[in-house]
Order: sequence, then structure tokens, then C-alpha cells
Amino acid sequence: MRVASLGCALAALAAGATRGGAQGLVPAGGISIVSTRVRGTNELTGTVLAGQGALALGRLELALGYVQGKIGPAGASGAGQDLVEGVALLGVRPASWLRLAVGPHARSYTLTGGTQLRWAFWELRARVSGAFVGSAGRGYVELWRALSASVNVPERFDHAQGGEAGMVVHLARAPLELRLGYRIDHAVLGGGTRLETVDAVVVGVGLSGR
Amino acid sequence: MKSHFAWIALLVCGWTAAAAQGAAQAAGPFADGIRAYQNLDFDQAAALLRRAFARATSAAVSERAQGLLYLGAADLFRGRRDSAVAVFRRLVQLDPRYRPDRLVFPPEVTSVFDNVRVESRAVVLVAPPDTEISTGTGAFTFWVVASAFQTVEVTLRYQDGAPFRALYAGPMGDSLRVQWDGLDAAGQMPPVSRILLRVASRAPTGELAGIVQLPLDLRVVHIDTLPWPKPPADSQFLPERSGSRPALRALLGGVVLAGTVAVLPSVVGSDHPNGSRLVVAGAVGFAGALGYVLHRPGRPLTANIAANEALRARWRQSVAAVKAENVQRRDDVHLAVHAGEPTAIKPSAR
Repeated sequence: MRVASLGCALAALAAGATRGGAQGLVPAGGISIVSTRVRGTNELTGTVLAGQGALALGRLELALGYVQGKIGPAGASGAGQDLVEGVALLGVRPASWLRLAVGPHARSYTLTGGTQLRWAFWELRARVSGAFVGSAGRGYVELWRALSASVNVPERFDHAQGGEAGMVVHLARAPLELRLGYRIDHAVLGGGTRLETVDAVVVGVGLSGR
Repeated sequence: MKSHFAWIALLVCGWTAAAAQGAAQAAGPFADGIRAYQNLDFDQAAALLRRAFARATSAAVSERAQGLLYLGAADLFRGRRDSAVAVFRRLVQLDPRYRPDRLVFPPEVTSVFDNVRVESRAVVLVAPPDTEISTGTGAFTFWVVASAFQTVEVTLRYQDGAPFRALYAGPMGDSLRVQWDGLDAAGQMPPVSRILLRVASRAPTGELAGIVQLPLDLRVVHIDTLPWPKPPADSQFLPERSGSRPALRALLGGVVLAGTVAVLPSVVGSDHPNGSRLVVAGAVGFAGALGYVLHRPGRPLTANIAANEALRARWRQSVAAVKAENVQRRDDVHLAVHAGEPTAIKPSAR
């Protein structure tokens, strides 16, 4: 119910903002190499590939992300286990430096024992960004919190939150941009009896029409 | 007998037309005389018109010309041809362009008038009252209007009659357009403030038929030079050295962002942070430091320096243009010409 209300409010805000600042569709996209570490009952690491894309219409923005790769116990050899992650966010920019977004975030990975964990969150995100090295170097900080979650573990879901910070360097006279960031998700279940942390270093390259 | 009837018919037609014309002009100083003429009382008309001429010295040229025509016609019908010729000669000298209305006056009158006009060889000068010309390149233009084909000499003279510059000598028909460039015969500015424009008419035998003279008052006019354009205001110039703000923003932004990366795990509640985040924090901090160096305070801003130099160059260019214009203005002397009242000189009085 809370997720639905927030989604409606955000959609209404986005619709108004789009009418106010109507302009053409602006696409963006990129690929990243993500050095991931999953730490819960096991600690799994690996380098996975990520792709992300966004479509902006005025102040309204639709962002999609997908991660897939193999992770395994730290220091172990072998192919590892699958890690698949996807996110879809509908966002709005009330100001040029601020984006508010809401959407589902799903993650699935397999523990060393063969148990597959499936996480599904509804997240609310806030992202601030701004130029700090001339106009080419922009920094960003994003924080999110899960509004609701569904996890296939016996423990009751308590709360989950995360964040990402880094910088994006726009290359002069080209729509190319380089991205370097660090992100972390932290979930608490069973009143703190079970903790799950996923953090990663993201190095990527992208194309941006903005 | 037939010619007698024709003569009467023409006279009646002329009287009728003259009555219609006179009705519209009854308010003039010669209205009584014209009305008497229209009533075929030529003696009375001649007397009234002569009396009117003695009184109406300030009448307009067109009214005086009309009065003279009626007076000459009246004298003609009174059988005083010599007097009529003398009156018509006065009319031609007053306005060589004047022609009697052939619907109003019979051929006997118009033929006598035409003979007088051809023999009189009168001219008038038609000049604008005030003219300003650029000496050498401009021209003071006037018209010489003649009563008949004749030979004329158009000259400019000093007030004592000494020649100043010859403008035209030769035959002319109905009218002649003459121009003067404002300079004397040597191509110099006039050294005096008044000269005389003189037109001398000559008969085919070379005999002087008449002189018309127009005084011209001259005034040298110097055109004002233009003021130099003001130099660009300080507010129009862009800063040529970078300020401290971009450098501080890079440095502080790098520090804050690197710190955020470093403490992000603590913010979200994780107690075993990944050490690799410090690599990211270090890279962000390095970017901030690099930004500080690249945007260090006092660094020359070449784009702004070029823009300012272009602004100064445009100002220097406009100053040079104004200087050139002022040089041209100093050399471009104008002459204001005021034409006075023309006077006619009889050959015997020369």
C-alpha cells in the first residue's frame, strides 16, 4: 500500500514536471565492470558485467539496470555461482541536481550450499549530483531504502538500505562518459540475526545525450 | 461682311469667357478694371486698371501680369496700339513665361502679345531661396527662363561688377538649367560673402537687350566633427585570470565526495566495509586535487583574454573610422547660398 501510494505520488509529480519542461526523449546507456562482494552466511566475490540504460523526457526519467556474472567464495577456484540482479526505476528531477526515483529491485544468487536466495525490494532512491571539476567532472551520491521486500529465507525481513557514490567524467567534444563508483546494499533480517551486505566497485563507460 | 460677323462673334465669345474668369477673380486689386473690360467699356477699363496699378504696388506677380494683359487688351481695343505694346512689354519683362488664355482673348490681342514677347527678349531667374551645397562636388542649381529664343551670358560677379566666374554663354530657347559648384574660376572658395548672379540677354545683332541680376549671399559652413566612441566599460571585459572559486570547488568537492565514499558503509549500517572503496575514494580525491591544479587561482584565461582583445580591437577600429570620417568632414566645406530679390537693368542704364 505504501509503495503504491509513493508510486502514484511520484508519477503525478513526474507527469506535472514533464508537461512543464516538455522536450524530446534523451537516451543514455552504458556498460560497467563490477567487482562484487556478497557477505551474508557466506562471503562470495566476483567480477560481473553490468549494463544500464535510461530514457529521459523532460524531468521524467526511466532507468533500467541489469547485472549478471559468476561469484564464488573468496580465493576459491572454479566457475562460481550465478549472480543476477535487475532494477527498474521511475524517477523525476525536481531540480537539476536532484533525482527522486522509485521502483523494483531484484537480486538472485546461489550460496555455496546450493541454496538460491531471491530478493525482491521496492526501493525509494534519492540522488544528488553536481559538477566539481570544471564542468566535465561530476560527483554523485545516491541513497536508497527499501519500502518493502520479499526474501525466500525463514527470517522476517527487517529493513534494507544502501547507497552509491562516485564520479562521472564527461569527455570533451564527445557524448562519452567514464564512471567510477562504489555502491553498497545492506539488509537486516530477523531483528539483526541475519545480515546481508552486497558492495561493489563500478568502473564503466557510457553514452549520454544530456 | 463675313469677317465683320466673325470678329463680333469672337469678341462676344471672349467677353463671355472673360466674364466667367473675371467672376472668379473679382476680389483682386484689378477686379473693377477687368469687369469694365468685360462690359466692353475699354476706356473705363484702361482708366481703372492704370489707377489700380498706381495703388497696388505690392500685388502678386500673377495678379499684376493679369492686370497688364487686360490693360494692354483694353488699349488695343481703344486703338492705342503703341500703348498696348508698351504694356505688353512690361508684362513680358515681369513674367516671360506668361501666356494669355486664347479662349479669353481674341487673336488680335494674342498676336500682338506674341510679337512683343519675341521682340522683348526678357529673362527671369528662378532660384531656390536657400541652398546648402558641398563645394566642388555639389551644385547650386537655378533656371533661366526666357520669353523667346535668344543668346544669353550667365555670369557670377563681384558686387562692383568685376567678373567672378562665367557659367554659360550661348543660345537658349524656352529655359536653361545652370549649375554652380560653389567655387570661383580658380577653383577656390569665394573670398566674399556676396556675389551677383547676372544674366545678360543679347539680340541676334549682338546688341545688349537686357540684364537680370540676382544677389547671392554666401556663408561658409563647416560640418561638426564626430566625437570619438567611448572606450568599452570595465563591466564589458571578462576576467582574464581565473578566480579561486572553481579551484576551491574542485578541492572541497573532491574531499567531500571521497569522504562520502569512505563512510558510505557506515551510513548504511554495514560493519565490515570493503577496502576497495578506498581506491574509489582515493581516485575521487585525486580528481579533486587535479581539478584544483587545473583551475588554480590566477591562471590566465586565454578565451577571455582573446574576447577582451577582440573588444578592444573593435573599439580601436571604430575610433579609426571616426577619425577618417572627421578628416573627410574637415575637408568637406559646405556653402550656404541665399538668393535675394532679382533686379532688371535696362541696357541704357548699364
